[in-house]
Amino acid sequence: MIDGRTLHFHLAGINNQNFIMRDEETGSWWQQVTGEAILGPLKGRRLTRVPQDEISFALWKREQPMGRVLRPDPRAAAAGHYASADWEAGIAKLPIATRVRDKRLDLRELVVGVTVNGRAKAYRMTDVQQQNPIIDTVGGVPIVIVAADGRSVRAFSRTVNGKPVDFFARPEAAILVDSATGSEWDFAGRAVRGPLAGQQLDRIEVLRDYWFDWRSYHPDTAIYSAGLVRQRS
Amino acid sequence: MNRRLLWFLLVIVAALALVVVIVPAWVIQPFRPQSPVGLEISFVLKRIAPFVTIAALLACVALVVTLWHGARWSRVFLVILLLPPVFSAWFARQNHFEWMFNPLANAGYTRADAATFVGDGDLVMAVARNGEAVAYPVRQLAYHHLVQDTVGRVPIVVTY
Repeated sequence: MIDGRTLHFHLAGINNQNFIMRDEETGSWWQQVTGEAILGPLKGRRLTRVPQDEISFALWKREQPMGRVLRPDPRAAAAGHYASADWEAGIAKLPIATRVRDKRLDLRELVVGVTVNGRAKAYRMTDVQQQNPIIDTVGGVPIVIVAADGRSVRAFSRTVNGKPVDFFARPEAAILVDSATGSEWDFAGRAVRGPLAGQQLDRIEVLRDYWFDWRSYHPDTAIYSAGLVRQRS
Repeated sequence: MNRRLLWFLLVIVAALALVVVIVPAWVIQPFRPQSPVGLEISFVLKRIAPFVTIAALLACVALVVTLWHGARWSRVFLVILLLPPVFSAWFARQNHFEWMFNPLANAGYTRADAATFVGDGDLVMAVARNGEAVAYPVRQLAYHHLVQDTVGRVPIVVTY
């Protein structure tokens, strides 16, 4: 929605493997990853980002039992067009068309991207899974990145009552424990047990992306280096 | 008027009509990198293509009609030269990305507990606004790429 007007979108092309959408109303072209109009009458305008989560269906269903789910299109399903459960393995073999030459990571490496106060940082998905949780500071904001069930990833600001808090994980239960009070926090960032029970951490949006795509739209991005427990940026 | 000049004009206009639709399709290929200039040219061509190709088609028809009298065996070429502008005028009104990437026009939804088509370990894109929660299974989004919805009274475009 722009200036109170609802726009309707069509796929209009591809810019270095990221879709371009065209709106029916003005014919402007919009970049998928940023939501910014790159050409046309609305050039320079941005769509408002709606917070979203990319998580496992089981986790979503537990948190949102009353929610609704997009139904498969019967024709596409009958024709077998939908991706198989292991489709990401197939994508890894597709060619990459990009101008990005930054080989700090493998171009097709899966990363979790975070932007705070204009500072972008990429975390290798393997680091996120292994180090769970990652305690870091981005754009001056102390954050924690949490993984669950091998697929879902979330990030939170880890400032509680005005002070940064450290966390360690109890992975078997997808529970975080803060080192200050020993309170237990669930994957939604809510303290469920202990002295801080009832407190809620602020969500920070994460984007699961391939390194070349993240780097292409965040040219100044830092990369989390797994060797360091903490890193200022 | 000089018949040769008319023939020449016909060939040029027919070629131009083709260029207008082929250049953007060539620049914006899924597995090729794009440059900002290439995109800008494609954007302009795509915008003017519907008008330019119709104008080219009308011009070509007029030229063919003019040249028809007095032409014999060369009438075959006149007909052949009409094909590019006809194709261009048609193609300028198509969205071939929608042939390739299948956006979902009429999205349907199911309650969470009835969604047997999604595996527990499958990823979903989840959105919650004003008390309404929706999950878009990634395996479906990876095929359709674009779904439009209204969640908690907020109109959104979901794109993968």
